Amino acid sequence: MAKSHSVWTSIRFWRQSAAWVTGFAVVLLILLTFDTMRQIKMGGKRVPSPSVINNHIDYKYSKKRGHEVPVIGDKEPFFGKQWSDEEAAALLHKGKLTSQAKNCMNCHTLLGNGAYYAPDLTKAWLDPKWKQMMPMVGAKTKEEAIAKFLQHPEMYPTHERRMPNLKITPDEAKALVAFLKHMSAIDTNGFPRGFSKGVKEFEAGGTYAH
Amino acid sequence: MLTSIKNNNLQFESQKLGLMYFRVALILFGAQLLMGLIAAIQFMYPEFLYGLFDFSVARMVHINALVVWMLYAMIGAVYYMLPDETGIEAVGIGLGKLAFWVLTAAVTVVVLVYIFIQIGPGKESTIWFINEGREYIEAPRWADIGIVVVVLIFYYNVFFTFMKGKKTGVMTVMVANLLALAGLYLAGMFFTDNISMDQYWWWWVIHLWVEATWEVFVGTLAAYALIKIIDAKREIVEMWLWIEVLMLFGSGILGLGHHYFWIGTPEYWWEIGALFSALEPVPLVAMFVHVLYDWGKEQGAHGDRPAIKNGPAMAWIVTNAFGNFLGAGIWGFFHTLPQVNIYTHGTQFTAAHGHLAFFGAYATILIGMMYLGVQGAYGVERMKATFKSKMAIFLITFGVLGMTVALTIAGYEQVLVERAELGGGWDAFFTAQALPWMKQAMTWRTIMGVVTFIGFVYLVLDLLTIGKESQKNS
Amino acid sequence: MLFEPFTDVYPSFWGWLNQGPLTLTLFLHTVIVLPMFWLYFKEKKRLEQEK
Repeated sequence: MAKSHSVWTSIRFWRQSAAWVTGFAVVLLILLTFDTMRQIKMGGKRVPSPSVINNHIDYKYSKKRGHEVPVIGDKEPFFGKQWSDEEAAALLHKGKLTSQAKNCMNCHTLLGNGAYYAPDLTKAWLDPKWKQMMPMVGAKTKEEAIAKFLQHPEMYPTHERRMPNLKITPDEAKALVAFLKHMSAIDTNGFPRGFSKGVKEFEAGGTYAH
Repeated sequence: MLTSIKNNNLQFESQKLGLMYFRVALILFGAQLLMGLIAAIQFMYPEFLYGLFDFSVARMVHINALVVWMLYAMIGAVYYMLPDETGIEAVGIGLGKLAFWVLTAAVTVVVLVYIFIQIGPGKESTIWFINEGREYIEAPRWADIGIVVVVLIFYYNVFFTFMKGKKTGVMTVMVANLLALAGLYLAGMFFTDNISMDQYWWWWVIHLWVEATWEVFVGTLAAYALIKIIDAKREIVEMWLWIEVLMLFGSGILGLGHHYFWIGTPEYWWEIGALFSALEPVPLVAMFVHVLYDWGKEQGAHGDRPAIKNGPAMAWIVTNAFGNFLGAGIWGFFHTLPQVNIYTHGTQFTAAHGHLAFFGAYATILIGMMYLGVQGAYGVERMKATFKSKMAIFLITFGVLGMTVALTIAGYEQVLVERAELGGGWDAFFTAQALPWMKQAMTWRTIMGVVTFIGFVYLVLDLLTIGKESQKNS
Repeated sequence: MLFEPFTDVYPSFWGWLNQGPLTLTLFLHTVIVLPMFWLYFKEKKRLEQEK
């Protein structure tokens, strides 16, 4: 009866191993979660505070890290003014709430998660497209252009697929722009990589031969 | 399945309740496919239902119906196996039935609101009453709370029936796993302004469901079904089950890291997510080997009598074993390493994986459980596959595989043109979407969606008639 | 070039373990698997005693 004495066919051994591995993996996940919570707190180096909407934001290659990182620059007016910490926080709150209420995530992706029917919004604030859109919607600044577009996207078709009118009010649109600007300042470990790098060639006919 | 609502051969109320859950699951499955077809058509003709029933709505109902029909079928399967495993009736069956009707009423209201109200103003009231706008768990907060109450009743039934009756290894795993599964839902029930924090906890629900607790759930169902369908030896099945739990949770829990590469979370998740999730396919291979091994072993062990007592259920479970490995394992592994995920993240590649994985890992085995339910309801000793059963499994499997291949091709194109070549962004996105390769892929996806839907019609017809036909033939 | 300078945004225990080729994940896998050897030999001893 030597056969029945193998540990490999012992239910008890596998049950104990399963309990150990599951329990320990859960403990590790909880410890990692505590550390991650510390790192992604709003107002930290990875997720900046809402008042980052008062600053110029860029996305530059970092030789040290091997990918692009958000670069928070000098102060710049946002909708023509500087926002206090409380005002900025309230605006971001409304923007995040609106992004959920309008179901953005079931067409777009945010930080790469969502549906794949419309462009990723992670760095949408930095998209060169808004420069083209400014004269189209009759706006003097980028934030105004985005806000105007969001209120009447059906009027500005740029491709066969159009964003529908989601009854976004002027206040909600402003808040959404703040939400997008804040998101573009989050350190996403270099996602998306080489953001909009090919656009110039694309506009020139998609070729280097000119 | 319908003809047996009042009069059936089931001895236990718990099993009858299981069948009630199966019926609603099947209806929601149909709704899921219809919504998927609308969304697929919108990819080809963007003006289709534009401004009336936009892509975001079709897609939201598509994925919500998916999650809810699977949860229904899972609850149904547990109520069905409960008396078989414990040897007794569920302890609070009256409460269980009440919970079923409450849940079904709530789901109906939620779906009607999704379809007719769709979106709300940017205020707290919208996420409380219309939709929460978070992929897969869009259900508004009031429904979240309702779901928690209903699940508590369900868990009360499972736990106390287990404590009162016989305690098998299969049920031990089921009871422990269900607690984790239900508890995880709470991680998705709060609002935060911090999108990184939002997605961190959102993945706790989504990932720890579909890549950990749901997978263990499937392992438990397969163990039960193999004992039931081919008289597999309980000791062997239970030993495999513990090995599966070990490997699924060992890889799946920290495999959560592969969702934390790019959402603002720290650098160390690259390594954790990469290697742990790279091991996720291993238990899925083991499950496949296990099912085939047991089948081969029991086949011919009973003389001339065929080993399989329920042909269509067994066919779906074998499809599950392979589909789980292919859809969750292989298609998941394709894009799980950060080095490739930086380009594939947020593209049709994910959609390809999603379609094959949800089908292969979950839809298949849950359909198998429905066939087991029909067999029980009609009291058939041996249920053989009919022409309709064969058409159903062939067309649905072929259709989903076809959609997956089409979406994978769309994904390749999007990854390389939009992401690698043009670097993402507005124009890059639409350039890639407008290429003939993308359009062809989307056309094939729609065609294969229609094939899947025809298969679904055969499935419904078969579930409605196979019981009676088998009764006549035996 | 095997070991790179520390480049994480925030210093942390996990980040410190992560500064090399698969160091963090190999460490975690080892810590998870090692106690299973102990479980194995404990079970083996138990089975032999039963015999």
